[in-house]
Amino acid sequence: MNLFLYLEKGTSIHGLDPRTKMFLLLGSFVAAVLFSRPGPLFALLVVLLVYGALGRSLGNLRRIWFLLLGIAIFSVVSWSIFARGSTPLFWRVTWESLSFGVGAAIKIDGMIISGLIFLSTTRIEEIVLGLIRLRVPYQAAFAFSLGIRMVPTIIGTAMTVIEAQRSRGLDLERGGLLGRLRNHIPLLVPILLQTLRGTDQLAKALESRGFGAARERSSYLEIGFHPADVIALTVGAVVLAAFFVVRFAL
Amino acid sequence: MIRLDSVSFRYRAASEPALSNVSLHIRPGELVGLLGRSGSGRSTLASTLNGTIPHLARGDLKGRISVAGEDIQGQRPRDLADRVGFLFQDFEAQLFSTNVALEVAFGPENLGLPREEISRRVERCLRLVGLYELRHKMPAGLSGGQKQRLALASVLALDPQILVLDEPTSDLDPAGRRDLMEAIRSLRRDRPLTLVMIDPEIDELAWMDRLIVLDQGRVALDGTPAALWGATGPLENLGLKGFTLARLATALGVSGRWESAEQAAAAITASEWQVKEGAADLLRKVDAERKNGEVLLEVEDLDHRYSDGTQALSGASFTIRQGEFVAILGQNGSGKTTLVKHLNGILVPTSGDIRLSGRSLRGQPSTRLSRLVGLVFQNPDHQIFAERVWDEVAFGPRLQGLSEKDVARCVEEALEAVGLAGAGDLDPFVLTKGIRQRVAVASTLATKPEVIVLDEPTTGLDQRELDGMMALIQRLNQAGHTIVIITHSMSVAAAYARRVILMRNGRIVRDASAREIFSDESSLLDLGLTPPPAVQVANRLGVPALTLDELIGSLARSPLPPSPPAPLPRP
Repeated sequence: MNLFLYLEKGTSIHGLDPRTKMFLLLGSFVAAVLFSRPGPLFALLVVLLVYGALGRSLGNLRRIWFLLLGIAIFSVVSWSIFARGSTPLFWRVTWESLSFGVGAAIKIDGMIISGLIFLSTTRIEEIVLGLIRLRVPYQAAFAFSLGIRMVPTIIGTAMTVIEAQRSRGLDLERGGLLGRLRNHIPLLVPILLQTLRGTDQLAKALESRGFGAARERSSYLEIGFHPADVIALTVGAVVLAAFFVVRFAL
Repeated sequence: MIRLDSVSFRYRAASEPALSNVSLHIRPGELVGLLGRSGSGRSTLASTLNGTIPHLARGDLKGRISVAGEDIQGQRPRDLADRVGFLFQDFEAQLFSTNVALEVAFGPENLGLPREEISRRVERCLRLVGLYELRHKMPAGLSGGQKQRLALASVLALDPQILVLDEPTSDLDPAGRRDLMEAIRSLRRDRPLTLVMIDPEIDELAWMDRLIVLDQGRVALDGTPAALWGATGPLENLGLKGFTLARLATALGVSGRWESAEQAAAAITASEWQVKEGAADLLRKVDAERKNGEVLLEVEDLDHRYSDGTQALSGASFTIRQGEFVAILGQNGSGKTTLVKHLNGILVPTSGDIRLSGRSLRGQPSTRLSRLVGLVFQNPDHQIFAERVWDEVAFGPRLQGLSEKDVARCVEEALEAVGLAGAGDLDPFVLTKGIRQRVAVASTLATKPEVIVLDEPTTGLDQRELDGMMALIQRLNQAGHTIVIITHSMSVAAAYARRVILMRNGRIVRDASAREIFSDESSLLDLGLTPPPAVQVANRLGVPALTLDELIGSLARSPLPPSPPAPLPRP
């Protein structure tokens, strides 16, 4: 089973320099935090979906739809109930609180989708290389990438451990709140120990492949700004400027 | 090329040294096989050759190690990476890139080589291991054998003069093993490469120039395979088995060194030995006399598709009777593990049905099924969590809600059955892999399941541990437990299983008695599986023997010397 998000599609988005995509990601975050009204946030979401479709990366949405839906429901429900407003709708929900909840839902999901598009169209190696070209020290950039890589490994270990303990009759849903927490001990210990063993193995494997041997590390991948990057950055800047205009000038 | 002068090493917090006073000289281009039981120091010795010891494992190192004429004291693995390549057993942990070419490029990038040179090396090394066509693929999507060959290519890209391989084939199926070994042999046609390889099976190291056997941190035997050919006794004293063909020759009192099953069979045919009349019928009769009980498990037209769309099982059907001993064989990724995970409800079939004693498993909670079908996972470390062996084994019975008195009885019985009576107070984490595996089996046994399923129960065990584990499983079977094992070890399957289910691409392609399956060598080869050496010789002599002992028992001295007397083959 593939637990990485990257999709090898070879679209023009994939071909962009990783730094370009990092700027676009950052730009989408800035645009998102500008607003709390659903209208402009919805417009931003549409822009992101078009961007994602160009990168043929929306297939990955299937893998996180439950997360997006969960966040949306939680956000709409909790803000509707707890935020205040002046136009009552029903019970303690007001037009303002509902609108704020919907806006927050789109904002958070949009940021996640933007991150998903970035990871679906950019190799981890390209991210590292992009960060290095942005003057981030190699060790730090590589540590960051190892963190991303470890996630699928840990999930894989966790799934195996869960299956092994369920095979022994473990029922995670048994008991009260405290009992349920206690049910997880037989999972946590093996997952933790296996992960530690795994990192130890990885450290040995990295060193034996010469990690850190030369002061200047070279790169097999090549990145660089091309006309497509100029176009993408220009479009991104124009869209971001438009959102600023909507926010402050209208 | 490699010189060790009185090298000793003691791991921090260990009371005994892992290596004591080892002196060795390995010449350039030499192929060295490293053997020994677990704890003999073979991995420790290998780890000193690239500085992993003492730099990544703490302890006290004494003596002098020089590689390519240079004292390596103070040099870290990364400093030695362009001279000493290291391939580990766990291929998953060695791969971390998002495509095959980038994986191979990682090493040369670390050396700071120019891009053109990296590009040349990536291409050369991928062609060498036969993965060039897959260079744009993700490593995660490769088969086990391909992953290990990719790991090999990534090490070779650093252009080392010495290659150290620590049990590189232990997790591979026979085809993966054969392809990896083929790649390693072809390397040597290109350039002089010094090779140090650890492998638990001496038969796999017959093509080396030299074999070194370690015991308790010392060199116990050191010689060419030819010199160690007849050393079955000394090897057994060191916890190993001798060469299978040598054991056969010794048992028959036939001299000569055989390098293949063909040679062995020809030499036996030419000798005074011949197959006993009716030997085949006798062996088959023994099989027929074994009675199995009622139908216990019925698997009907089982399909499983994972959420990512992979069709892991298609139309698998079989029945298992009470008291059977079944081995499921097939290459990595053929669906064996997916299949057995259905037997206790861990996975739910996409379509099809499984019945246990006539009752469908559908809708039954896995907590209940775990009591009926016990599944022992491949790696005991995926389940051991308690600080005492006793509590670990008591986990299942306690979940069943038994009284502490009944729990105690189940635990005692289970520990007794696996030969760990009285070990209840030990901490599982300080035990060896072989004993942890026993603890895992005991913790399954303690719930008294009707069927015990073991996924690769012998991986990572040395010969003595393996024999002990298999003897235990056989005892459980004789005591009435129904056993299903998944294994890559053809010798384990041939020696212990009575019935074999062969799988390929999620389908059951053959289901027959072990004798029938192993005597049909060509269909096994089609599936990338090879029978163990003793069975290969037996097949060439036309006896359906499954073990060396059965083969020897099927031969008898002919009353008249064969005429004309054939000359003994010379090695």
